[in-house]
Amino acid sequence: MFGLNWDSLWRHREEFLSGLALGLKLALIGLALACVIGLLVAFARTSRHQWLRIPAASYVEFIRNIPLLLILFFLYFGVPMWAFSVLPRGLADILVLDGENTTIVALAIYGGAYLAEVFRAGILGVGRAFIEAGRSLGLSGLQIARYVTLPIMVRTVLPSLGNTFISLFKDTSLAMAIAVPELTFVTRKFVTDTFQFIQAWTVAGVLYLVTTYALAALLRFLERRIRWTV
Amino acid sequence: MDNSTKAFTNRRNLLQGGAALSGAAVIAAGLSPRAAMAQEAGQSRLQQVIDRGKLIVGTGATNPPWHYEDADGQLIGMDIDMAKFLARGLFQLTDEQLANREEWSQRLEFVVEASDARIPNLVADKIDIVCQFMTVNPLRAQQVEFTIPYYREAATLLLPADSPYTGTADITGHGASISALENPDTVVMVQTGVPDAEVTSFDSPANAVLALDSGRAEAAVSDLSTAQYLTKQSPEKYKVGIDSWWPQTYAFAVKPDDQRWLNWVNTALHELLVGVDYAYYQDAFLQHFGVELPPPAAGFPVEYK
Repeated sequence: MFGLNWDSLWRHREEFLSGLALGLKLALIGLALACVIGLLVAFARTSRHQWLRIPAASYVEFIRNIPLLLILFFLYFGVPMWAFSVLPRGLADILVLDGENTTIVALAIYGGAYLAEVFRAGILGVGRAFIEAGRSLGLSGLQIARYVTLPIMVRTVLPSLGNTFISLFKDTSLAMAIAVPELTFVTRKFVTDTFQFIQAWTVAGVLYLVTTYALAALLRFLERRIRWTV
Repeated sequence: MDNSTKAFTNRRNLLQGGAALSGAAVIAAGLSPRAAMAQEAGQSRLQQVIDRGKLIVGTGATNPPWHYEDADGQLIGMDIDMAKFLARGLFQLTDEQLANREEWSQRLEFVVEASDARIPNLVADKIDIVCQFMTVNPLRAQQVEFTIPYYREAATLLLPADSPYTGTADITGHGASISALENPDTVVMVQTGVPDAEVTSFDSPANAVLALDSGRAEAAVSDLSTAQYLTKQSPEKYKVGIDSWWPQTYAFAVKPDDQRWLNWVNTALHELLVGVDYAYYQDAFLQHFGVELPPPAAGFPVEYK
């Protein structure tokens, strides 16, 4: 097709697919952790207590305003430099993560900052009436958060959550820079070896496109399901 | 300094006296309007360059110690010094002129190009010669003509200064983690030197070295010249492995079918490497690689040994 040679790509199909699967895995675990971070930070940012609000706001502003690649480099190259020189060897070995786990942590920290804002908007969007209803039932602040705010918020933030997931999945391509064999790394390696850059990047692009499109469709389906129950 | 080297230096100074005179003649010729005229077809590039009064060299700007920018954004490096040497030979520049950028840059112009533009720029007559750590291979030799080599590159281990290892012999057998630049055959290349290495390949040489700095890799495999350069910059941080492998030849390249120009560059290079201009090469080598070369043995020509 197009006078291009697709045979060698086909021979490397397993590397491309395993790169894609690895990217999805990293994004999924990263998102799960980012959700936890995001929720905690969002509640901290909407808290009455200043000692919770200020660190939470600082975290969001700091992380949102630096590139993800920088976080990756810092975690992958910077942390070991510091850990191996300062900490006892055993502790340093625990703190120094391999490329894949570094990527997961970086995605969690990065995605967490974005999701914190998403969740915060969701929390602020929960009507006062619901909160007051909870209070009049005698629920504590924590109970209101758990049984009133959270369930209502989840429905409103689902579309944004989906967007963040798709973003994080595409961001896994940056892990190439720290030698994680996800799809972009595999593609670049293939291009370096064969110089068939048009074929390779086309295939990588199509794989990203099909995957993110399928993810978006799945998320829309979930949104519709949940809307029925409200 | 032994006697043979002294004789060398003296003869060099003697030659430069004459060179200054003829240099003045060439500069005078260069000022005439003829120099700016279009080149005659079939004329050797050697004559074109002399008539033009300026050598145009294709090189890069991002690969220390070969060609890179200093703090002022000016090109420096081994390739840059090699190009200056050619300009010196073409236009009889004195040491004072070579030391002064204002002076020599009237006789030497650099066209900064990416590595993959080396051959196209040469073929399209945008440059007279490529001085850009170009690796000789038979495929490229079909498209350009290579001069005689001016450096033999190889792969070597870059090790932390306090590493227990010294080279491939003692690091082999430990399943050492080794970082390297992603290239075709990176793993094969590394494992040719260290068969049981666990190879991690990075997208830039800087990241491969950073992996070493951060303790993620026990050694980095890099070009010998890069390893020597880094070790010269930070001897407290690095040391170079005692052996090397995976040789490749660096040479200049010129457009094909101009024997006169090729011969002139080859002759100048030959004298640079083993002849009257050896001290220039020795100085550049020491400056960029931190290694002091012994002078070529007198008597039987070393290049035939």
